[in-house]
Amino acid sequence: MAAPTVEKVQEIREVTRIERIGAHSHIRGLGLDDALEARQVSQGMVGQVKARKAAGVILEIIKEGKIAGRGILIAGQPGTGKTAIAMGMAQALGTDTPFTSIAGSEIFSLEMSKTEALTQSFRKSIGVRIKEETEIIEGEIVEVQIDRPATGTGAKVGKLTLKTTEMETIYQLGQKMIESLTKEKAQAGDIVTIDKATGKITKLGRSFTRARDYDAMGAQTKFVQCPEGELQKRKEVVHTVTLHEIDVINSRTQGFLALFSGDTGEIKSEVREQINSKVAEWREEGKAEIVPGVLFIDEVHMLDIECFSFLNRALESDMAPILIMATNRGITRIRGTHYTSPHGIPIDLLDRLVIISTSPYEEKEIKQILKIRCEEEDVEMSDDALTVLTRIGMETSLRYSIQLITAANLVCRKRKGTEVDVDDIKRVYTLFLDESRSTQFLKEYQQEFMFNENTDEMETS
Amino acid sequence: MAELWINKLVSAQKTCLVQDNKRKIHFTFSDGTELVEEYDIKSDELLVRKWKKKSTLGGVGKWEIEVGEQPSQFNLEIDGLAESTANPVFVRKDTKTNFQWRIRNLPYPLDNYKVTAKPDQGKVVISTVNKKYYKTFEIPDLARCGLPLEQEPLEIAHANSTLLISYKKPPAFLAVEKKLQQEFKKLKASKDGDVDCAPS
Repeated sequence: MAAPTVEKVQEIREVTRIERIGAHSHIRGLGLDDALEARQVSQGMVGQVKARKAAGVILEIIKEGKIAGRGILIAGQPGTGKTAIAMGMAQALGTDTPFTSIAGSEIFSLEMSKTEALTQSFRKSIGVRIKEETEIIEGEIVEVQIDRPATGTGAKVGKLTLKTTEMETIYQLGQKMIESLTKEKAQAGDIVTIDKATGKITKLGRSFTRARDYDAMGAQTKFVQCPEGELQKRKEVVHTVTLHEIDVINSRTQGFLALFSGDTGEIKSEVREQINSKVAEWREEGKAEIVPGVLFIDEVHMLDIECFSFLNRALESDMAPILIMATNRGITRIRGTHYTSPHGIPIDLLDRLVIISTSPYEEKEIKQILKIRCEEEDVEMSDDALTVLTRIGMETSLRYSIQLITAANLVCRKRKGTEVDVDDIKRVYTLFLDESRSTQFLKEYQQEFMFNENTDEMETS
Repeated sequence: MAELWINKLVSAQKTCLVQDNKRKIHFTFSDGTELVEEYDIKSDELLVRKWKKKSTLGGVGKWEIEVGEQPSQFNLEIDGLAESTANPVFVRKDTKTNFQWRIRNLPYPLDNYKVTAKPDQGKVVISTVNKKYYKTFEIPDLARCGLPLEQEPLEIAHANSTLLISYKKPPAFLAVEKKLQQEFKKLKASKDGDVDCAPS
């Protein structure tokens, strides 16, 4: 009877190792070649050639790092890949350039004023590359031992044994550390560094002594020597911190006074000024370097007139990042006013932006995107089914047809099929309404729904 | 060199307190660095010396203990990672004539350890034959007074799972120490317990 329980435990372990699939997780870059020409299908991007080329040019501006405070607006109908382009830019910039992504509605909060939230995201998008002495632990993992409590709930306890060529030490692990160890998938034989202050784990590679011929491993597995000397070292590391992080470090109320101050999360402007002058000082002394990043505001039409006028001003500061915005609105009301304006953005701000527009996908492109999504979700689909799905995508929307992939795959699995075919697609198409069919349905049966008389009143008034 | 150190201490802003038979002195230097020293009031032995420096980005650092031992109060949930209590513990505790270091939880016999001074790096290296423990440390007192590090005054002993390393204080250093003690005795110390608190 012991065998099934063992198997069950194995299953639980596996779950943490599966990556979740998001709407844009198939995107790995902008898909441009060295001459900034867009390849038709590359790095998960399909079509939208002109917009991607434009984004590539913007990327070069960002990489050069000289120009501050430019604004770019990506405008287009829903489902034409605006967010995908922004994600692609973030991927192409790499991890060292700060890329902050927010949605327009995120800044409305009771805790913080709108402008404070905007300022914070602005400052999150400016990096400072600076040399700092930190304490790190560098060694080869001998053993990771994580004990779950017998009851199944409660805190896990863990033990980590690390070694260098000269010594060996056992560490106790807290909850946070256990999580990041499992996230990094660190196991015995890996060489890791742990930043003591932040608890950040970086995997350097596998130990040479653990290299075996019969081990199956990916192409990117690197072999490194076991470190020498002491496990804990003080090391000067160059890393990029954002201005916002420096703000937070310096604004925390210290000592017992912290108990009395209600922490609103707002940072005093004096602190910011102080930091700005300090950073300028470091820059002059050659101690630090500014890395301007990107702030991406999705659904920018959700900002109101106050935010827009704040943006006007903020873009002029020489510490401003590159601002990328995306909207799917046409000529519409500016939030907080009675005026209408293109994209719901005041003309004076629009004047400071360059606009990239995306156009609806063609049939061929939709087919390609659906194919990529099938691969990403590990779904086998017959050619006929894909053609049908493409037609659905053309007539309804791309998002709807992408959602049908997952549903159709489940239907297919239930009938024990290996490949999604036309019948599965038809089945889910009848099960789930798309937006236009749902509207049609509502129009027909309006009378039977609740509160339907309200709309009549509104129309008459 | 020794003069520099003495001047630095004398010119720093100082607060002195006598409590539990210890003379506790708190120094604040011009760059914001803080130093705390505790001396036994009878024998003038140094019990604790710890530093607190500001980090590059402006955050407050932690106390770094140079001499003496403090009950470690880490929070596993906040720090995320801590050395297990079964590991060797490295503590410095000086006597009148020697700098002394104790490493507890080291059960291996005496011939397992090699302690060498590396004068060119200003560091002492402890290594083990069985590759279980390795440590390099400095003697900041010598560096501050500009005195050389040598192999000769180093001695090691082992008992009760503890490795004891001593380094004989050079005469020049003893002189500096004596001078500093005289300075400290001049400090007006507020006594614990009878703080002026005149209720008006």
